[in-house]
Amino acid sequence: MKQELYDLAGRAIQMAKSAGAGDCRVSIGGERFVEIGYRDRKPETIREASTKALRVEIFVNKRYSSQSTSDLRPDSLRTFITNAVASTKLLAEDPFRTLPDPKYYQGRSAVDLRQYDPDYEKVSPESRHGFVRAIEEACLAKGGDKVISVTARCYDSRSEQLLMTSNGFDGYQEASVFYGGSQMTARDEGDRRPAEFAGAVTLSRKELPRPETIGAEAAERTLALLGAKKIKTETLPIIIENRVVSRFGGGFMQAMFGRSIQQKQSFLADKKGQKVGSPVLTLIDDPFLPGALGSGTFDNEGMAAKKRVMIDAGVLKEFYVDWYYSRKLGWEPTTGSPTNLIVPPGKRPVKEIMKDLRRGIFITGFIGGNSNSTTGDTSIGIVGQLFDKGELIHPVSEMNIADNHLKIWQRLAEAANDPYPYDQARFPSLVFTDVVVSGI
Amino acid sequence: MTKMTRRSFIKTGATAAAATLAVPAFLPSGWYSFAQAEAAGYFEKEFGITEGLCRKVLARALAKGGDFADLFFEHTISNYLILEDGKVNRAASDVALGVGIRTVKGDQVGYGFTQELGEGAMLAAASTAATIADASAKEPAGKFVALKAKNFYPVKTLFSSVPLESKLPLVQSTNDKCFALSPSVAKVNVVFHDQQKRILVVTSDGIRAEDLQPRSYLAATVVAEKNGKRERSGWNYGGRREFSYYTPALVDNLAKLSVERALVLFEAIQPPAGEMPVVLGPGVTGVLLHEAIGHGLEADFNRKKISTYSDLVGKKVAEPFVTIIDDGTVPNLTGSINFDDEGTPGQKTVLVDKGILRGYLHDKISAKFYGVSPTGNGRRESYQHFVIPRMRNTYMLAGEASPEDVIKAAGKGIYVEDVANGQVKIGEGDFAFYVSQGRLIERGQLGAPIKDVNIMGNGPKMLANIIMLADDFEFHEGGAGACGKGGQTAPCGFGLPSALVKSLTVGGVKG
Repeated sequence: MKQELYDLAGRAIQMAKSAGAGDCRVSIGGERFVEIGYRDRKPETIREASTKALRVEIFVNKRYSSQSTSDLRPDSLRTFITNAVASTKLLAEDPFRTLPDPKYYQGRSAVDLRQYDPDYEKVSPESRHGFVRAIEEACLAKGGDKVISVTARCYDSRSEQLLMTSNGFDGYQEASVFYGGSQMTARDEGDRRPAEFAGAVTLSRKELPRPETIGAEAAERTLALLGAKKIKTETLPIIIENRVVSRFGGGFMQAMFGRSIQQKQSFLADKKGQKVGSPVLTLIDDPFLPGALGSGTFDNEGMAAKKRVMIDAGVLKEFYVDWYYSRKLGWEPTTGSPTNLIVPPGKRPVKEIMKDLRRGIFITGFIGGNSNSTTGDTSIGIVGQLFDKGELIHPVSEMNIADNHLKIWQRLAEAANDPYPYDQARFPSLVFTDVVVSGI
Repeated sequence: MTKMTRRSFIKTGATAAAATLAVPAFLPSGWYSFAQAEAAGYFEKEFGITEGLCRKVLARALAKGGDFADLFFEHTISNYLILEDGKVNRAASDVALGVGIRTVKGDQVGYGFTQELGEGAMLAAASTAATIADASAKEPAGKFVALKAKNFYPVKTLFSSVPLESKLPLVQSTNDKCFALSPSVAKVNVVFHDQQKRILVVTSDGIRAEDLQPRSYLAATVVAEKNGKRERSGWNYGGRREFSYYTPALVDNLAKLSVERALVLFEAIQPPAGEMPVVLGPGVTGVLLHEAIGHGLEADFNRKKISTYSDLVGKKVAEPFVTIIDDGTVPNLTGSINFDDEGTPGQKTVLVDKGILRGYLHDKISAKFYGVSPTGNGRRESYQHFVIPRMRNTYMLAGEASPEDVIKAAGKGIYVEDVANGQVKIGEGDFAFYVSQGRLIERGQLGAPIKDVNIMGNGPKMLANIIMLADDFEFHEGGAGACGKGGQTAPCGFGLPSALVKSLTVGGVKG
C-alpha cells in the first residue's frame, strides 16, 4: 500500500504541475476500519469499510486553494486537478501563500513512535465480538436493576497517511487505533434517565483497559448521576476531572493560534512572556511520546516536529504558528498542529485534594457553553458532584460556570496526580478556586 | 436492464407507493407525484449504476436474510470561497463519491460502504452488511419504481454552472459593505459555501429515489475595535438556495446584521446569575427548540427508552397553545428534503399538537418497532453513515400575543436574541445554550445588551413552562449550522415565535 500512495501522490503532483501549478502539497489518507456495537446482548450495528481520500493544495501565481476528493479514478482526478488549478488562478493574490521553506523540513526525528500495533492483523472478528460482549455484560452487571439501556462499542482501524510536496518533502505514517466503550442509561426519579459513558482509545490493543473495567466504569459513572439536584448559586472551588479538562482548556488554547492572533481574535495576542496563569500552569507540547495518540515526527505542513514548552509556570512562552500565519505576522513559524499536550501532574489524588477544599464541585462533564477567543470570556454548563470534606454529597445538574480565561487560570491551585492516558491531551484533574457556580 | 415504458412505470409506481409509503392523513391527496423518467438517471449515466447491478448488490446484502436492504449512492461537490484581510484569497473544494449498503434485521444494522462504484467493490461491501443476519437468502424486488415527491428546492441553475467570476464579487462586496458601515470594524472574514449533493436510494422492496439537494450559505464574521477592546460576531444567510438568492439587498442585510451584532457587544454586560424568566426571541432561537425538545423526540432514543419523552405519547407536555412541528417541506429551508435517505418522502410531522405529545420522528426501523409509518426522518451525513432518525425543520407555531406583551409579562429576566453551541442530555432532558446576543428585561421592557452567558434548563420542564407565545413567528434563514448526533452531521432548520419561559437558569459571574 505504501508504494501505491507514493505513486498516486507523485501522479497528482505531476498533474498539478502540468496544469500550471507552481507548487503543490498532496496528502493521501487511507483507512480500513471495523466498528461493532452491541445492545440487548446482540449486535446492534456492524460497520466496516475502506476509505481513501486525496487532498491537494495548489500554489499558483501567489494564489492558493485546497481541494479534496474520494473520486480517485485517473480521468476524474486529472480533470479535478486541472479544473482546480484553473480556478485557483482566478482568486486574489496572496503573497504569503507558499510552501514552507525546505529548511523547516530538516532535522526530522528518527525515533520509533510506535504508532502501529504489529499485532493489528491478528485481531479476529470473534475477538472483537467477544470484547464488546464483555463490555456490555460488565456494564449490565454493575448497573443492575437501574439499567434502562446499555450499548457497548468497539472500533479499530489501520490507517496510513502520506504527505508529499513539490519542494522536496515526503513523510509517511502508519497507525492503528483501538477503541472500546460503553454507555448506560439509568432509571432515576420521575422521568429523568441519566446517561454516562466510559471508553478508552489507544494505538495498541494491549494498552486498552480490560473490557470488564470499561463496562463497570460506565455503569459506575452513570449510577453516580442518580438523584442530581441544582444548588443555589455559590462561589466555590471546583475540580475539573482529568478526562474533561481538554474541553475547558481548549477555550484557552483557541487564542494561542497564529490565525486567532493575526485576525485579532486572540485575548493572548500581546501576552507572550507574560503571566497568564498560576505557577501550577505548565503546558508542554510533546510530539515524541511513543505510543501516544498525538505523536509524529512532522506536522501537517511537513515541518519537523519539536518538543515545546508552551506555557512555563504560568508564563506564556510560545504560540501555535503555522507557515502561512508566520509570514503574515512576520514571526518564526512553530507549528499549526498541537501534538500531545502535557500539564505536569501533581502529587495527590483527587480524593485527598477534596478533603482540604471542604465544599466544592467535582466537574465530570460539560454541556453546551462557549469560549470567546477574542475576549477570553467563557460560560459553560457543568455536570458533576457536590462534595464536602472529601465526601461526595450529591450529583448536580442544570448548573453553569462563567469566568474569563485570563482570570480563572490565575486561580489554578493544584494539579492532581492522574494524567488521562486515553487522549492526545494528557491532562490531570485540575483545581480552581473561587468560581461562580450558577444554579437556583 | 429492461426499459420500462412510461405507462408501466406509472402503474408499478402507484402500486409500490401505495404499499410502502407513509402519507400522513393531514396531507392533501395527490401530495406526491411520480418522477418524470427523464429527470432521473444521473448515476446510471455517470457511473453505470443500472437496475440489474443494484439488484445483484441487494441480493448479496440479503444473502443471509434480513428484513430489507438498501443502497445509498452519493456524489457531492462542495465548494468554499474564503475572504480574509480584504481579499478572496482562498478556495476549497471537496468531492465525495461512494455507496453505502445496509442490511436491516429488526433493529440490527449491518453496514458497508465503498468509494469505488465497481461491481466487485460493491459486492464486497454488501457482504459486510449481510453479516448482521444469519438466516437464508432473501430476494430483492424484481422491479424498482422511480419515485419523487414534490420538489421543495427546485434547481434552475446548478452551482457548477455558476462561474467563479460571478461568485467572487459576492464575497468581496460582503467584506466591503461591512467595512463601510463602521470605522470600528477591524477584521472581516467571509465564507461562501455551495454544495450540490446527488443521491440515489435503491431499496430491496422496490423503490428507486433520486434527488439533487442544493445547499449554500454566505457567512460574515466581524471583529470590531473600540477604546482598546475587541468584540466579534457575525451572521449568515443560506439554505437549499440557488445562487440567485444572494442579491445585493441580502448582502446589505448580512453586512448590517454582522456589524451591528459585533458593535452592540461593547455595551453588553453579564446579567446576574440564577433562575429567572426568559423570553426567546423569534427565529434563530428555534435552535433551542431543536436541541432541548426535538432530539428527545427522535424515535431511536425512545425505542431504547433512553429519552425523557419515552412514555409521554398521548400525554400533556405543554400548554394548549403550543404546537410543535418537524417539517421537510418548507421551500428552500436548510432542513427540507424531497426524500429522506432511505426513500421515504419528505413530509410534515406534528410532534406536539395543542400541548399533547402525538408521536416521534421515525426512520424505517423505529416505525416498524412502533407499528407506525415512517415519517421521512431517516437521514445520514453521507454514504459512509447509516440512517438514524434526525430532525428536518423544527418549529413552534405562532401564538396570539404581541411581542411587546410577551416581554412585558416577563417582568424581570433576560431576552434571548440568538443562541449557539446548544447541547442536550437526552435522558435527563437537561440542556445548555450560550446566549450570543440578548438583553436584560427590566420592568417589562428591554434593557441593556448582555453577553457571554449560558442558559441552562430541562427540555420537558421548559416545554411545560412556556406560558406565552407571540404572533411574530419566523423561520431562521441561516444555512451555516449543522446538527450533530451519533458522530454524524445533518443540515437542519428551525423557527419560533417570541416565547416566554417562566424560568430558566442563567449562568453569569454575579451571584
